[in-house]
Amino acid sequence: MKVVKLPKSKVEEFLSSLQDFGEVIIPKEKTEHPGVYYFDVMENPSEMAWEYLRTIIPPKKYLHKPREVIFKFHKEQGYQEVIEDKETKRILFGLHPCDIHGIKILDVVFNRDYMDPYYYARRKNTVIIGLSCLPDEKCFCKSMNTDYVEDGFDLFLSDIGEDFLVAVGTSLGDDLVAERAHLFSEVEEEDRRKYLAFRKKRNESFRLELDISDLPYILDLEQKSPIWDELGKRCLTCGSCSMVCPTCYCFNVYDTLNLDAKSGQRIKQWDACLFKDYALVAGGHNFRENRAERVKNRYYHKQFRMVEQYGKPSCVGCGRCIDACPAGIDVVEVLTKVREGSYVTH
Amino acid sequence: MSKPKIGIFGLTSCAGDQLMILNCEDQLIDLANAVDIRDWEMAKTNNDEECELDIALVEGSVAQVRDIENLKKIRKRSKILVAIGTCAVWGGIPAMKNDVPRDIMLKEVYGDKVEFIESKAAQPLSSFVKVDYNLPGCPIEKDQFLQMMASFLNGDMPEILNFSVCSECKMKENICQIVYKQEVCCGPLTVAGCGARCPSHNVPCSGCHGPIEEVHYDAEAKMFQRKGIKPEEIIRKMQVYAAPAWMPEKLMEELQHESK
Ligand code: SF4
Ligand code: SF4
Ligand code: SF4
Ligand code: SF4
Repeated sequence: MKVVKLPKSKVEEFLSSLQDFGEVIIPKEKTEHPGVYYFDVMENPSEMAWEYLRTIIPPKKYLHKPREVIFKFHKEQGYQEVIEDKETKRILFGLHPCDIHGIKILDVVFNRDYMDPYYYARRKNTVIIGLSCLPDEKCFCKSMNTDYVEDGFDLFLSDIGEDFLVAVGTSLGDDLVAERAHLFSEVEEEDRRKYLAFRKKRNESFRLELDISDLPYILDLEQKSPIWDELGKRCLTCGSCSMVCPTCYCFNVYDTLNLDAKSGQRIKQWDACLFKDYALVAGGHNFRENRAERVKNRYYHKQFRMVEQYGKPSCVGCGRCIDACPAGIDVVEVLTKVREGSYVTH
Repeated sequence: MSKPKIGIFGLTSCAGDQLMILNCEDQLIDLANAVDIRDWEMAKTNNDEECELDIALVEGSVAQVRDIENLKKIRKRSKILVAIGTCAVWGGIPAMKNDVPRDIMLKEVYGDKVEFIESKAAQPLSSFVKVDYNLPGCPIEKDQFLQMMASFLNGDMPEILNFSVCSECKMKENICQIVYKQEVCCGPLTVAGCGARCPSHNVPCSGCHGPIEEVHYDAEAKMFQRKGIKPEEIIRKMQVYAAPAWMPEKLMEELQHESK
């Protein structure tokens, strides 16, 4: 992998120059809520929140949209396909390793066995530029093996103090550097040492740990554990955890109609297995009628069935669900207690 | 298909939902072209007060004795009866203090001599007649109203949302009022549809759309108590809009149980 150096004094110039390519999305801080971040279109590089850790919603919102029209229909004119943002070239800038892993999982789900044309159209026009981070008490990507990225990005910036080391992940990334060659320089011996020191510091900063060895096996043994009922008693099935998760990909499809009584549009919108109607089918049968079964499903889908189906769990340890749950349900605590066979609600 | 005949009515209410219909300014012409509005006292003259109706939209709670007869008459004339607004669906604000006897309340508000009003404990339409569809909101949301009308015009029943305000709140990328501000937010209990209006303005949801089908009262009560919020405070907050929907049952019991 090619690595070059970008001095911090030139990074804003670099960011501005990226607008030649297309829309640049960066993490910003909420003015009314310091310490709370969200991804948004960059107007000015000074808006970039370099120290951000996690945004409320992951960058999946640009690929798998919260709500989108997928086609329009008309009684006489037939139907017309719509792919929102089809022509938009976009750079997702400043993604941490967990979010890049999140997109890698979405890529598998939406683009491998079954092609989702809406996701694909946006994905192929999306450039990913990663950014290194230091974990807080809710990050557990290290336990999920998602704390580093070897692929899934075009460029990746690691903060080594005065400079960023920039890893080049794709030929498109290489072009982005080559077109701006005057901003970059060669990596020197001292930079290598700084990078190794940064890496060491980061590895030692993780405070939250989750043991995932043979977790699917344990989960299979714990199918009937009282833990799931206990959780069912505590969860509000509000769906927040699912909305904010970088790898939750479920959606509902429904039509909205127009007042002319002959036309309408089909909508694709985020859905969650926590919702009562999620597993409701025609005829009125509900496969997960019970609240506890629905909460349990979220854990089994992520840590058990995803491993069976794709070889990896679909949790990247970003800590967003821990942050978002009004009831204070903590995925690490739950899975640790499942392993220990102990769980008492408080 | 001939245009469906429509009637729009208000029982005891603030007329906010009818006003919301009039507020659909950009779509009002389309709507007026698509339906035949036969009876709408608030918005037009020459109303036909006896004809049969395809759809009756009824706002307000049953909070006066005469509302009962009016409602029954509307039901008789109509193929589809829709409760519009949280008063009609759940009793709404007028039902906030149903636990206080009406004569005491009347005396407090109007003094000793009250002859002009036959007030009773406020109840939703469904306590008296069959309601075919409920469109909650205080007031109703324009988009939801137009969607509902479009569904009827297509010979369909509108979708019933069954997930809470939290999902819309998160899609809007708001901070959580419970997590970040330790506020009593009714979002997890309240049915979606408003696009999380209040949390999007940094105010907790006060539950004006009424509950989702499967409200988790005990979990909500325990959650707030873990955060050190007093049961009275939670009750006060939740009593505002849809008290009959959640008060008499589980939540009260749980809160009282918990506070012991
Ligand atoms: S389950 Fe929670 S910690 Fe894991 S990826 Fe999803 S939001 Fe992040
Ligand atoms: S955020 Fe918490 S309360 Fe809401 S559905 Fe998820 S686990 Fe349940
Ligand atoms: S602010 Fe209220 S509506 Fe929004 S996520 Fe939190 S509890 Fe739910
Ligand atoms: S957030 Fe709650 S109180 Fe505010 S409009 Fe929506 S349902 Fe009503």
